[in-house]
Amino acid sequence: MLPFINILNVRKYRALIKELVKREIKAKYKQSILGYAWVILVPLINLVVLTVVFSFLVRIQTGNIPYPVFLFVALVPWMFTASSISAATSSLVANQQLITKIYLPREIFPLSSILAKSVDLILSASILAVILIIFKVTIFPSILFLPVIFLFHFMLVLGVSLVLSATNVFFRDVENILSVFLMVWMYMTPIIYPPELIPANLVSLFNLNPMTGIVNAYRNVVLYGVPPPMPSFAYSMIFSLAIFVLGFVYFRKRSRYFADVI
Amino acid sequence: MDPNNTIEFYNVSKSFKKGQKLLLKEALLDILNFRSQDHFNALDGVSFSIRRGETVGIIGKNGSGKSTILKLIAGVMVPSKGEVRVKGKIAPLIELGAGFHPELSGRDNIYINGAILGLSRKTIDARFDDIVSFAELSEFIDTPLKHYSSGMYVRLGFSIAVNSGPDILLVDEILAVGDERFRRKCMKKMEEFKKEKKTIIFVSHSMDAVKEFCTRVIYIKSTKKEADGDPRQVIKTYIQNEA
Repeated sequence: MLPFINILNVRKYRALIKELVKREIKAKYKQSILGYAWVILVPLINLVVLTVVFSFLVRIQTGNIPYPVFLFVALVPWMFTASSISAATSSLVANQQLITKIYLPREIFPLSSILAKSVDLILSASILAVILIIFKVTIFPSILFLPVIFLFHFMLVLGVSLVLSATNVFFRDVENILSVFLMVWMYMTPIIYPPELIPANLVSLFNLNPMTGIVNAYRNVVLYGVPPPMPSFAYSMIFSLAIFVLGFVYFRKRSRYFADVI
Repeated sequence: MDPNNTIEFYNVSKSFKKGQKLLLKEALLDILNFRSQDHFNALDGVSFSIRRGETVGIIGKNGSGKSTILKLIAGVMVPSKGEVRVKGKIAPLIELGAGFHPELSGRDNIYINGAILGLSRKTIDARFDDIVSFAELSEFIDTPLKHYSSGMYVRLGFSIAVNSGPDILLVDEILAVGDERFRRKCMKKMEEFKKEKKTIIFVSHSMDAVKEFCTRVIYIKSTKKEADGDPRQVIKTYIQNEA
């Protein structure tokens, strides 16, 4: 990870990244009564709604694991994916004033959007911890895999964000199609349903989605006490690394022309 | 690069692509490494070098390419042809307050803007009082920026920029905003910069300000450099050409 951090200018621009992350977090909930509590409320509301629909109405079976727990373990990382990508995609256009006036390595903007969402993730992960305790879920040593899973998850999110944000500068269509894209992506990922529900002949197709391996890995290590699923997680690791590297190269190439068109 | 120079332009051209549709084509052609032909020039074969401590005015009609020059110096744009070399820390005063967030207080914005200009938190802490007092905003420093007047905005932006310790100051017509008193204060501050041998690039439509303030003037006439040198001489050429 260290060489990547250097590529991303994190060291030289650490102070700036910190300020931008703070700005994003502070500004988002200004002029609202509940303020930062929204970071906790939104995931909880999502959890309740989805539980009602898919546990009581659709009655998805999740074995020994209570449905809300089963869902939340996957929903928390998914919400990080979705909110990071949508914030990062519009981050360059939102900062066009800066981009056309001052030279800064432009990857700083999507990166700080994602880091701000990582702060939200810490909070929603703590609610998850509380829920695990309430439902008396046994914790296994396999949770030690979490940092590795998150590392690749983060690379995937950053890679996709670099591609989409750079493209969005040239074609704002990206911003408009994004919510649909994220919705389809969510339903293509076993978040509200267990992977066993995927028809056997479609499993390999679903496994092409890099989030499948990542979500299943989170469930394996938190709920079932087993290592991440292979080979699907290995595929996710390779995919994440590749999209991160390609995304970065593409972003750098495009960023030379950001100020011309933004 | 000559060690006495801070900015060097070698035969610099900048062209833009026309229109949205061509962008799509351009993006597709880019993959095949073709170059789309439909461009318009914003700058055409401009060369000059600026020595440390010079105060250079850039004049020309709207759309002649003055702002493009500033953007090339700032490094936000890359030239289509030629080469731009810049040595030293730049503070742009182009439309002040880029990066300000209206929901946040003046205090928060000083830290963000300072970081954008490359200052560490410690340095900002040390210069915080100077920034606030120069901007004359001590009373409103914890007020969200959205309640500031445009004059207050400009004062805060100018104050952060001049206190960021730049080697090169890019000034783009900003002094048009803000009242007469603050304008004089800014001019005084820039005189100090001149004495400290800092480089100032000054873009303005006010020939009086340019004449009074600059030691050298570059006149850009529709994308090309038309004249360069003594302020009185160059301004005379400009008035003859554009009248």
